[in-house]
Amino acid sequence: MRLFENLNINFMSKRSIFYVVSATILLLGFISIFVKGVEFGIDFKGGSEIALQFEKPVVIEKIRAEIDKLGIGNVEVKTFGGTTGILLRTELQELPKQVLPKVRSKIENVISNVYPGIEKRITDSSSTSITYSFPDPAAATVLNNRLFEAGFNSAKVSDEVTNTAVSVRLGIADLIKDNLSEKFKDNSFTVLKEDRVGPKVGKELKRDAVLSVLLSLVVILIYLGFRFKFTFAFGAVIALFHDVLITLGIFTILYGLIPGFNLEISVSVVAAFLTLVGYSINDTVIVFDRVREQMKIHKTLSVEENMNHAINKTMSRTIITVFTVLLTIVALLIFGGEVLRGFAFALFIGMITGTYSSVFIASAFVLEYSNRAHKKIEF
Amino acid sequence: MKELRFRIILIVGAIALCLYLLYPTYKDYQNTKAVTAQVEGLQPSIKKNNPSLTNAQIKDIIASKKDSILTNNPDYRSAREKRMKLGLDLQGGMYLVMEVNTAKLLEKLARDPDDQFKQILKSSEAESKDSDENVVSILERKMKQQGIRMSRYFGSIREDDAVITSKLLQQESDAVTRAIEIISNRVNQYGVSEPSIQKQGSRRIVIELPGIAREEEAKRLLQGSALLEFKLVKDAAFAIPIMNQIDQALAGKAGKDSASAKNDVASKTDTTKKDQKLTAEQFAKEHPFFAVARLLDSQGRIADAYVKESDKSKINAFLENPEVKKVVPDNIEFIYDQRPEKDPSGEKYFRMYMVNKEASLTGGVIVDAQSNIDPSTSAPVVNMQMNTEGSRDWAQITGSNINKRCAIVLDGVVYSAPNIIGKIPSGNSQITGSANLEEAKLLEIVLKAGALPAPIDILDQRTVGPSLGQDSISKGLNSTWIGYLVVAIFMIFYYKKAGTFASFALIVTILLLIGVLAGFGATLTLPGIAGIVLTMGVAVDANVIIYERIREELSSGKTVKAAVDSGFKLSFAPIFDSNITSFFTGLILYQFGSGPIQGFALTLMIGLVTSLFAQLVVVRVIFDFMVVKGYKINVG
Repeated sequence: MRLFENLNINFMSKRSIFYVVSATILLLGFISIFVKGVEFGIDFKGGSEIALQFEKPVVIEKIRAEIDKLGIGNVEVKTFGGTTGILLRTELQELPKQVLPKVRSKIENVISNVYPGIEKRITDSSSTSITYSFPDPAAATVLNNRLFEAGFNSAKVSDEVTNTAVSVRLGIADLIKDNLSEKFKDNSFTVLKEDRVGPKVGKELKRDAVLSVLLSLVVILIYLGFRFKFTFAFGAVIALFHDVLITLGIFTILYGLIPGFNLEISVSVVAAFLTLVGYSINDTVIVFDRVREQMKIHKTLSVEENMNHAINKTMSRTIITVFTVLLTIVALLIFGGEVLRGFAFALFIGMITGTYSSVFIASAFVLEYSNRAHKKIEF
Repeated sequence: MKELRFRIILIVGAIALCLYLLYPTYKDYQNTKAVTAQVEGLQPSIKKNNPSLTNAQIKDIIASKKDSILTNNPDYRSAREKRMKLGLDLQGGMYLVMEVNTAKLLEKLARDPDDQFKQILKSSEAESKDSDENVVSILERKMKQQGIRMSRYFGSIREDDAVITSKLLQQESDAVTRAIEIISNRVNQYGVSEPSIQKQGSRRIVIELPGIAREEEAKRLLQGSALLEFKLVKDAAFAIPIMNQIDQALAGKAGKDSASAKNDVASKTDTTKKDQKLTAEQFAKEHPFFAVARLLDSQGRIADAYVKESDKSKINAFLENPEVKKVVPDNIEFIYDQRPEKDPSGEKYFRMYMVNKEASLTGGVIVDAQSNIDPSTSAPVVNMQMNTEGSRDWAQITGSNINKRCAIVLDGVVYSAPNIIGKIPSGNSQITGSANLEEAKLLEIVLKAGALPAPIDILDQRTVGPSLGQDSISKGLNSTWIGYLVVAIFMIFYYKKAGTFASFALIVTILLLIGVLAGFGATLTLPGIAGIVLTMGVAVDANVIIYERIREELSSGKTVKAAVDSGFKLSFAPIFDSNITSFFTGLILYQFGSGPIQGFALTLMIGLVTSLFAQLVVVRVIFDFMVVKGYKINVG
């Protein structure tokens, strides 16, 4: 079987159509980025994310209502995997002030259940932890254990035998879990995963992500500059830039539109961006390699003719190579599960735009340059 | 045919090597299956014996039993150590990034911190959150702006700011080392299998604790400060008779042999002599305790014993025995050395000490400690200073225990047990006997841990439950074989016979890829599996490029041999170019990512190399072979 045999289309003459197509998608993406904003995952934003697996199917609205009652502000509630999985996410780093007394009274309830009327002093209190001091070390040890059993993140301030202070770490995730297990007693859950990310890590990660995407483009620019003419390398990198921007744009456009599809920018999506930079250059290299060969053989033909010839000749392999990669990406998308979905989706979009751009953007850029420069590119 | 021989040997050798590297993984999988079946069988009996346990607790017990069998049984251990490791996202576990809180440390270190200092410190801390600059240097700058010298709060009056700053930075880095030591000490005691604790940058610690069964404990062991204690080691005259009694009680002759049990060292040496004639099995039966706790000195001058790593749990069980409890005084306990000694076969032995349960002194009294080389003996020493209160107690303790040993115990583990040579009245003690400066440095860290806790903040905490991990493994495997199937079917459909070669080469690619991963001791993560799946899609690209070229060459009228030759030759440059650029992005990704993402980058890079080998060498050999033998080649 052969696809695109003896294909003979004058692609380069239609390049303005493709400019319009690319510009439109890019523009839509930019509008979406500015209006909706890029939705970052908690890897970048910081915050807490918990995935819970209930024993029986749960109604998401019910969970949402329970969480709303906690009064800790905006908590996203989504399904995770099937009907029994729930994903909760909040950007908050620490408990809001108005909830603190509620949590504190819960802690103190536990204390007074064990030692009614014990004398306790709060020696340190912040939005992330609270420290109690008790009259004697034995009581502190017992209370520390009881609080821990009750689900609080408690610890003795020091392990010295004379220690009388117990501190309790206050986390949003703990509060949510605590509350849900109380409210859904007949439908218990296990924690599938729990992530708590501080704001500092996220900030660094964002910078690293942008830097590494840019760095990979520079490295490709330099390498291809050596292997081909610099114009070609530049065209290839413009095409890659285009791929990343379009994928990012489509991500933000589709964010929230497909139910059960978490399309925020996480670390693994950035990994997908870097991967697509590495892979989508492949088609471009194939086309450029053929253009170079054509130019060496047919020195008299124009750049445009040579390019058309090369693109037509390589069209079948361009399509088939991207098709085989897409086959595996679709396998990941369908069978890879929730964790890999965003990653696979980014690659899916990226590979398609990558193939498109290697023909219509990378080559077109080289042609435009050679037309403007009124200079014939020679190898 | 001759020219092919070398390449065929190369290919077969590579495949054989990978199979060899993958064998432990397979073996471990089989072992795990066997042990799981065996341990699961215990569930009803555990339930019957302890009806109060909840299902979750029983699950925990079974999980930890399974773990300890797999890591301790020598038959299973070698396979386990060489197997392909699974990342936290696949086996479940906890990933933590911690950072030393320099501001808190500075507050502790400062001499008489006043409100002004606290204010400057607070603003420095706030500023450090938004910049890469270190809190120490921000503090130095701010103090300079206000015209305050650093020596007002730190160091001595003669030192200038730069010297003090560099000393403080050293303190900061020491605090990280200390925190790492404390955490690894606790993690090791909890028996988390294959933990990883690493320093990242200057102030960060990255901790990976696989196995979620102990998540609550894991959380706990990272909290609070460390406890440093000084405990007197019992001398042989006291310890050996008790050990004898334990031994007798376990052998079931507590009543009968109470007379001989009363006997001291002499009887012990006597029994050992007699026991030399006994076989190991008989000895274990007659002396269950000494069979597990091997006395260091057969003359019985020291009561320290060596216990095999896997026997520690046996000792604990012995001490729980009601008969044994009767003979062991309540004011003593057995504790182990922090560092195991290895025998020639690699088996780890821990030195076990009998010490006073109650600490003579706790580490809060230590003001400072430094490791040094003693100029007169050029041996490593550790100098330790105590505060006034501590010095007073210390003088009394050392005075009344001359020639006895005092164990330095951090969180229940012995770091050193020096001999007390004489009374130390000033609180300035010198500890000798460290094997090298490194060991002395460790002791310094430990001694400081009592006085100067390392305040740490958790920056990033990720937990993956075992069920999600299991789910991810099966989803990953499913997408792998489905991915392979669709690609192989397409290739065979489109390229006919040549497509089957490509599909075969794809198996070689994957086999080599996971073989190399296992050989490097790399960790397989879910993104890593995704990398394998993607590699399959990308690997056949090389085939497609070559086959398309061969078709083209054939249609231009070349012979089969010539077409194959030029097809491979002309395709090499573009295939190489595109693979090398992908490899570069893989490298960058490896630098950028952490944990799972690095796993992905690694599989991607290795996959590129192995696919090049499979597609360019293996497929080429098959083609050449067909040409030589005159078989028909069909590229669809």
